[in-house]
Amino acid sequence: MNILLPAQINASGLLPFLALLGKPLAADEEVVLDFSELRRVTPAGLAALVATVVRWRREHHSVTFEGLKACSILGYLQRMDLFKTCGVELREPFQRHEAKGRFVPVRFIDHQVDTMGNDLAGCLAPGGEDYGHPMSHLYDLSWYVLTETANNVRQHSRGLGYVSAQVNRTEGFVRLAMADNGCGILKSFQDVGFKWSKRMTDAEAIRKALEPTVSSKGSPTNEGVGLTLVAGLVRQTKGWLMIVSGQGILQISDEPRLKTMNLPENARYQGTLVVMTFRQQNVLDYAALLHAAKIDAGLLPRAGEDIRFLP
Amino acid sequence: MNLELSIRELFGSHLADGAKAAEFRMGRIEPYVEICPQIILDFTGVRNANSSFINAMVAGLIEQHSVKVLKKLVFKGCNPSIQVLIHAAVELGVRKTAGRVNA
Repeated sequence: MNILLPAQINASGLLPFLALLGKPLAADEEVVLDFSELRRVTPAGLAALVATVVRWRREHHSVTFEGLKACSILGYLQRMDLFKTCGVELREPFQRHEAKGRFVPVRFIDHQVDTMGNDLAGCLAPGGEDYGHPMSHLYDLSWYVLTETANNVRQHSRGLGYVSAQVNRTEGFVRLAMADNGCGILKSFQDVGFKWSKRMTDAEAIRKALEPTVSSKGSPTNEGVGLTLVAGLVRQTKGWLMIVSGQGILQISDEPRLKTMNLPENARYQGTLVVMTFRQQNVLDYAALLHAAKIDAGLLPRAGEDIRFLP
Repeated sequence: MNLELSIRELFGSHLADGAKAAEFRMGRIEPYVEICPQIILDFTGVRNANSSFINAMVAGLIEQHSVKVLKKLVFKGCNPSIQVLIHAAVELGVRKTAGRVNA
């Protein structure tokens, strides 16, 4: 199968791109990815591409990269470690600059989730490591959503996950994306025998996963609030969230209602992709945002139990 | 004798792994609930945590020992976001003991 990567894999080009990646392959069919027309790609496109290439290889498909000389953003793709993460080494005729405050190259989500969270949050909000620094709230929010989403990838997907992110300093947007090549949300519910999941669509399963205390793992290590609060924090910051899993898509934006739909052409994304955008200026008090997200999800009591806190 | 545990010394300043928290609760806190009059969980120096970690540690304790365990527990040195997470974990534990959660 030859896949000509579209010129723009941005907000509007992402879903058609995912549909391309989800096309079924015959056994041992070779995949040729043609980069010659690619001009722009977001972290979501990069993370989804890497997760899919790794899946194809796992399924014994040969994957080749063509049109690289004609690709006008080859240097950017190299800086984002697209090829490196796919196991392809290319010569780099340039010097890498500091990525801090600008982007997070594609990175494999390993078991050191807390360390990964520190590295990535430090990259998105440089200086925020210091409590009291102006970037500390963005640092903490990024760390929270990264670690909770990465925990989901590791605990539920049964596949491999990848993360990437970018900061647009002019507009003040922070874009985060995590993609895995696992079984998808619906299958993870069905495999543990939740009766209510039998007749669900992928989109309905994503919506269900956002409800508090719904988890395919359960106690003692998983209480099913991670994705709920990630979505809640996105709402509190008036940000944007998209989750793609199987055929389903769920979007949260500044509109009051969340939106569900299917990928075009009955395509399937094999795994789960989580994409978030925050506006830096809306992340001013992380603890207040977390408190509001917990209240909104019904996870805080109206009258608290007698909890003893000491300074 | 009271039991005081420095979470920062044991896990560092960022707490993300619910599995580690559950293991710690079962091995280092639960055996002392009936023995010690007071259990102090010292979060001094902990910058951030996620719900997975705090729920596995705190909600699990309430689930095992009922809400009465709060009379023995003291949470020390918590910054505002850790306090939010502990409040929510306690609420989750209370709901679980009341059978209102089926996670």
